[in-house]
Amino acid sequence: MSLADYRADMEGCSRCSSCKWVPYNQIKSWRFAKNCPSICRYKLHAYSGSGKMIMGLSMLSGRSHLNDDIADIIYKCQLCGACDAACKVYRDDIDLTEVLLELRSHCVEQGFLVLEHMATIDALKREDNMLGEPKDRRGDWAWGLPVKDINREKADVIFHAGCRYSYDPDLRDTVRGALLLLLEAGMDVGIAGKEESCCGGRAYELGYRGEAENYADDMLSRVKASGAKMLVTPCADGYAHFRYLYPRMGRELPVEIFHISQVIERLIGGGNLRIRRSLPRLLTYHDPCHLGRMSEPYFGEWKRSKLDRSMSLKRSGRKGVYDTPRNILRALPGAGFVEMERVREYSWCCGAGGGVLEAYPDFALWAAKERIEEAESTGADALVSACPWCERVFKDAAEEMGARIEILDLVDVALICSGVKEAAETA
Amino acid sequence: MSVDIVVFAKQVPDPEGSPSSYHINSAERKVEARGIPPVINPFDESAFEMALRIKDESGAHITLISAGSNLSRPVILKALAAGADSALLVTDQAIEAFSLDSLATAKILAAAVGRLARFDLILCGMQASDTNAGLIGPMVASLLGVPCVTLARKAHVEGGMLEVERVVQDAYEVVLCPLPALVTVTGEAGELRYPSLQAIKGAKEIPQETLGLSDLQLDLFSPPRVELISLSAPQRERRCRIVEGESGREAGEKLAVILREDGVL
Repeated sequence: MSLADYRADMEGCSRCSSCKWVPYNQIKSWRFAKNCPSICRYKLHAYSGSGKMIMGLSMLSGRSHLNDDIADIIYKCQLCGACDAACKVYRDDIDLTEVLLELRSHCVEQGFLVLEHMATIDALKREDNMLGEPKDRRGDWAWGLPVKDINREKADVIFHAGCRYSYDPDLRDTVRGALLLLLEAGMDVGIAGKEESCCGGRAYELGYRGEAENYADDMLSRVKASGAKMLVTPCADGYAHFRYLYPRMGRELPVEIFHISQVIERLIGGGNLRIRRSLPRLLTYHDPCHLGRMSEPYFGEWKRSKLDRSMSLKRSGRKGVYDTPRNILRALPGAGFVEMERVREYSWCCGAGGGVLEAYPDFALWAAKERIEEAESTGADALVSACPWCERVFKDAAEEMGARIEILDLVDVALICSGVKEAAETA
Repeated sequence: MSVDIVVFAKQVPDPEGSPSSYHINSAERKVEARGIPPVINPFDESAFEMALRIKDESGAHITLISAGSNLSRPVILKALAAGADSALLVTDQAIEAFSLDSLATAKILAAAVGRLARFDLILCGMQASDTNAGLIGPMVASLLGVPCVTLARKAHVEGGMLEVERVVQDAYEVVLCPLPALVTVTGEAGELRYPSLQAIKGAKEIPQETLGLSDLQLDLFSPPRVELISLSAPQRERRCRIVEGESGREAGEKLAVILREDGVL
C-alpha cells in the first residue's frame, strides 16, 4: 500500500474535528473530553488526525511538498488510534490510522528521518531490540525458571516476553511472574531466550516497514520451527502486531495468539489459578492502545468503496480486549474497581507509542501525566495497566509529578492475589 | 604528514531492508523502495572508515561529497558525526529528472572535487549497492587525471606515497602509488564506526557547503551514453515434487537420480 491508495480516505475528511474528541455521547466532563495527545498539546489543526489527512492529500496532489516542519508534525503523534476510533463513530469509510502510518512511511522513504529514530533503528539492527541493550542478555530475565528453550526443545506454548519486559529492570518481576503463572498452571511453555527478537511492530510505526518485515520473517520462521500451537505474550504491542500487522504483511503466525491477560482469565475461570488473597485497594484500569483499539485482527484489504464495507470488517476499535482485564480486576476479593472517564476504544493514550517516547520524551511524559491525573480523579489507589510501555512511562511520570497513585501491571495484581508473587521475585 | 581526503558518499535505499519492500515499476523503469530509508552506500561507508583510519594514524582532513536530488539531511549528519571535517553537497532536482548515467554523475563529482582548495586522496566504494555499476571511481580518476587503485581493503599514507592492499582471488596484492590518487574500496575495509546520538546532533556544527548544478557549470543535458531500456523482475517458478519410495533409502536414491538429471549434482 502507499499514500495514493488512501486518496479517497483523505478526500473524505470533512474537517469536522470529531477526531479531536471522545465521541460526544461518551463525554463525561469537559476536563477529560479530549482524546488526541498531539492536538491537545500543540493546539494547531495540523497536529490532529484531520490536519494530517489534509496535509497528506495536499502532498499527494502535488500542492505542497514534504519538509522538516511537516515531518515534525507527522512524527509528533503516538499513533494511538484514538482519532480513528472517534472518526469511525461518524464516518466509517475513513481509515485514519492507516493514513498516518502511510505518512510515516512516506517520510522515511523521502529521507525525512528523526535522529532519535535513526539511532533506535540502528540499535535494533545491531541488537534486535528497541532498547539497544545487548542481544546476548535478552534471556537473562528468565534466569533460574524451569522453562524450555524452544530453540532446542518442542513446547506447546511459546512465551514471547517482548523488548521492554526483557530488559527493563523495574518490570523484571512482572515478566517472570507472568511466565510462572503459566508454569504453575502446568502449561508446556518454552521461550527463545537470547534468540528472541523484537516483533518489529514499533519499526513499522516509525515508518521503517522494510525493517519490520525482516523481523516478521524472523519471528515466523522461529514459530514454525517450534511446532507450538499457541503464543502468549505479556507485551500489548507484540500482541497487536502479531494479530494485525503480521497477517497484513503476509506473515501470519500459524499459532493461536493470546495476551497474558486472556490466559490469566482462562486460568482463573478453569480453576487453574486460585485467587487466595484479598487486595484491599481501589483500582482503576488503563486500556493500552495496543491491547484495545489497535489489537483488532486483520480483516483483509477492502478493494471496493469503503461505504460498502460491512461493520464486521471495519477496524472501529470496538473489538479490542476490554472486558478481560476488567473481569479479572472485578473478581479480586477485597478490591474495588472504578472506571476513568476515557475508557475502552476512546481511552487516552499513555504517551509512549509511535516513537514519541524515543524522540520526544517530554511529550510522552506530558501525555502520561494527563492520564495519571485522570486516574487520580477517580480516587483510585492504583492504576493498573497491561502493557510494559504504558507502565514505564506512567512510572516515570508518577515519580516526576509526585503522584500518590501506585502503578501496577495486571500480572502483578494476579501474582499478589494468587500468592505466586514471592516465587516470581528475583533473588 | 596530514593529507586531505575526499570521500564520496552516495545515498541509496537501505539494502538491508526486506526484499519484499522493493517493487519494480516497469512502466517508469525504476525500483520503488516502500518503507525503506536512505542510507550511505555501505561500500562508501567502508571507504569512509578507511579514511578515518588514515586520519587516526597520521592525521587527515576529511571532506564528504554527496550528490543527489533529495539528499536526506539526517543521513548526512550521521555520516558527518562519524568523523568528517566538512561536507560538500551537490543537490539539484535535475539529477533525478535527467536520470543521469554513470559518466554524468562522475562529471558532477569530479567538478565538485575541483571546487576544493586541494585534495591528496579520494576514497569511494567499489560500487553502489543500488546500481552495482562500479564505474564512478575509475571515471572520476580519469576525469581528474589521477591514478586509480581498485578493490582496496587497506591503505596507508607515508612520505607522499600511498600503499594499498588490493583484494585479488584468495589473496591480496600490495600496490604503491603516488598522491594524489583515487582508491575504490571493498567491504573488507570494515564497517563504518557508529557515532553516538549526541555526536549526530552535534554534527550540525560541522561545515557544510551546498551547491547546485549551475554552480558547477556543467553541461549534463546531452544525451546519456547509457540508457536504461527496460526494467523487469525475473520470472521465478517454483514446482514441488514429492519423491516417493518404499524406504528412505529408495526415496533417497530416486532423489539423487532426479538431482543428477536436473544438473544439480
